[in-house]
Amino acid sequence: MTRTYEPNEPIWCAGCGHYGVRNALLAAFRQMQIESHQAMVLAGIGCAGTLQNNVSAYGYHALHGRVLPAATGVKLANPRLEVIAVGGDGDGYAIGCGHLIHSFKRNPGVVYILMNNGTYGLTKGQHSPTADDEGIAEQVLDGIQLGLSIPGSSFIARGSSASPVQLEALIVAAIEHTRAGLGFAFLEVLSPCVTYNDTYPAWAGRMVNVDELADYDSDNRVGAFATVNGLLAENRFATGLIFKQGGSSPERRRLDGGQAPLCDLDISPGSHLSEFHEIMAGYEV
Amino acid sequence: MAANELTDLNVMVAGQGGDGSLTVISALTELLARRGYHLYMSRNVASRIKGGHAAAMMRGSLLQRGCMGDHIDLLVAFDQEAVDMAATRMAAESIIIFDSSDGALGRDALAKTVRVVEVPFGRFAVRDLRRDLFKNSLSFGVLSHILSIDEAEAINCLHHTFRRLPKDAVAANTRAFNSGRQYASELYPRQDRWILAEAERSEQLLINGNDAVAVGFMLAGGRFFAGYPITPATEILEWLQKHSSRFEAVAMQAEGELAAIDMALGAAMTGVRSMTATSGPGFALMQETISHAGSAEIPLVVVNCQRAGPSTGMPTKPEQSDIDMMVFGANGDFPRVVLAPGEPRDCFELSVLATNLAQQLQCPVILALDQAVSQNASTIEPFDLDAVQLQHAKQLDASELRQMSEYRRYQVTADGVSPWAVPGTPGGESLVTGNERNEWGQVSSDPENRRTMVDKRQRKLDSNLQLLPRGNSWGDADASIGLLGIGMQKGVIEEAQQRLAAAGLGIKCLQPRTIWPVIDETLDFIHSCERVYVIEHNQGGQLARLLLAAGASEACIGSIRKYDGEPFSPGDLCSEIRQAEADRLGETA
Repeated sequence: MTRTYEPNEPIWCAGCGHYGVRNALLAAFRQMQIESHQAMVLAGIGCAGTLQNNVSAYGYHALHGRVLPAATGVKLANPRLEVIAVGGDGDGYAIGCGHLIHSFKRNPGVVYILMNNGTYGLTKGQHSPTADDEGIAEQVLDGIQLGLSIPGSSFIARGSSASPVQLEALIVAAIEHTRAGLGFAFLEVLSPCVTYNDTYPAWAGRMVNVDELADYDSDNRVGAFATVNGLLAENRFATGLIFKQGGSSPERRRLDGGQAPLCDLDISPGSHLSEFHEIMAGYEV
Repeated sequence: MAANELTDLNVMVAGQGGDGSLTVISALTELLARRGYHLYMSRNVASRIKGGHAAAMMRGSLLQRGCMGDHIDLLVAFDQEAVDMAATRMAAESIIIFDSSDGALGRDALAKTVRVVEVPFGRFAVRDLRRDLFKNSLSFGVLSHILSIDEAEAINCLHHTFRRLPKDAVAANTRAFNSGRQYASELYPRQDRWILAEAERSEQLLINGNDAVAVGFMLAGGRFFAGYPITPATEILEWLQKHSSRFEAVAMQAEGELAAIDMALGAAMTGVRSMTATSGPGFALMQETISHAGSAEIPLVVVNCQRAGPSTGMPTKPEQSDIDMMVFGANGDFPRVVLAPGEPRDCFELSVLATNLAQQLQCPVILALDQAVSQNASTIEPFDLDAVQLQHAKQLDASELRQMSEYRRYQVTADGVSPWAVPGTPGGESLVTGNERNEWGQVSSDPENRRTMVDKRQRKLDSNLQLLPRGNSWGDADASIGLLGIGMQKGVIEEAQQRLAAAGLGIKCLQPRTIWPVIDETLDFIHSCERVYVIEHNQGGQLARLLLAAGASEACIGSIRKYDGEPFSPGDLCSEIRQAEADRLGETA
């Protein structure tokens, strides 16, 4: 056995919701028998952006807000990897929100776990786009509504670090979605920051698991939207597998089209010389 | 050689966008190439989709040239604005073929010696063929008479230009051509016609720098490209999107420059050779990721096709004002390489080299083009495709890892380059980060580790200087005056040096191809001269300052700069140098 790095102990405060996310991710890996070299965990910046240090997979620490483009590049280049992008609400809903929209649209086979705590913990408590505070005139941004509004979105779920069994199941479902070549699996996790925005009490009793609702159809985008909006109007949150649809990810379409993973290609110049000669003949004068 | 035989012909075809200027140039290009001429082509367009004044320019010469000449010999003008715009650049004995559909040419701004042939192309095209569109073929008919081209040869070239059009469209254009030719033969005296030279035709390509970069990247094993459209870099994205499926490669259009470079970075982390390309504004946005690639030690090629700045500046005009940003931009200390090609062959060679070098050094490599190098096309000998070789990273596979007791992604090594196991390899699990970290990739702000890691990264560059490409040098090796310039200056400096040499002023020249780090070759060249004129397109003399900071003697360096969006002409440059030399003599007298 080659010795590699030892996963660090998390930097999080005692009671931080992110422990629950780390534990659920590790449990999902175990359940699905994903070995450490088969997964790559890419993380954004912030408290959530240190999770990759606490598992033993291939880890990458992205620039603030750029975890999704980097994860997209990784997945397109090596579709065998289980590509897990993680980050906080500042990373995904503020500085990187444009990439989130385009990831829904582009639909790469990436699992994106966004840990929403409504605050910037690492910089000590500034408001995030999901901060629900009467002192802020701006409306709260809801990532589930956002995802549902984009026609290409294929997997939208919400879990809570307070519900580890549900969270593990949702992570497994998300990984299965990407493995099946169906595309981008977005999982928001309500993961409170006990130091700067302890929402455990505020969120308690407000979560409604749609998987337990009679007649809820997660294949129905319009219905999902209605349920999510209806709950928000009642000051409650939908959790569970809120929406999924069939589709195909760009890396799956490549493979289906007979193209090998980029990382497996024979790139020696000799392998394509006739192609190059043909192309260059087009420039002859 | 007959007195009016042409060995160097500068042609401009100008009118409103959509007048078909490019068609005339294409047919003429074909004609001159068949006669064995070398070609150089450039465009002068406004940054808009349709309309606006547009000029296509072409130089055909028996000697290989890397820029437009000083003057225009032949102007095909579809409107008065074209003539007004070109008036000061017309050669004394030049010819203007003018579309007089809207009235006679006002020639106040023209020298008396300029000959004007007025033909109402537009009106004829509408009268005879019922479409204004055919005026370009009509003008080519006039042109072919003036250049004494045999009818069959001219038609052949026209048909080559229109080879992808349906038959009836070709027939209509041929009628337009004949009509123009007929008119010209009645109007223009036979004895005043020009005669094209005929040289041995060699095998040559007509290609622009951007296409050459794309070819080089793909041939060097590049298989992932992400970009965002921006003038004048877009052709690289377009070329790769057009051809990627042949190579099973990915060329994608991202939602912006940040996404483009970070997608390329993600693919690069898996060991796939990756590139992005942009221009100044996009390159500014990419700074954070370039620094990150330097810190996290991820191989990445970033192409910057410079245009006139600052900010959005003049998108279709060349400049070399991002040198500071490419060399010094982005936060922190990290190793990087900046390479500057001067023409399409350089673009190809340096694209191959950059793609290899990024792997070898595991750091960002920047290819610095400018709009002229990017978008102007010239004829060159075919690339030696078979000679391209891949240089690999120190990559570890699973079986190599099994032999090792431990694997550290950022292992400190003698040359600073750490062995690399890409994600997915059993036994190579690692943490890749832009944070300072220890050899295992674990975040660390320990002072001793910090020094070790900064030095390790810098050592990758310092201990591998032999991998950096040397420049192109030419001229009189014993001369005391040197000319030095990068990118688009190459062709202009070449021609200026030849003219000055012919006038008795010995000069030697260097076009450095590695601009960062500043390599010994560059400083040795400077210090082998009494004075060196650094020729560049920016206001502040960024290249000259870079060389001074790298140790060039201040007494040695003269700076010749331009920043009006127009390239130097060889004549301009000769005058600048003569003036600078005269000033110098004046000072010492």
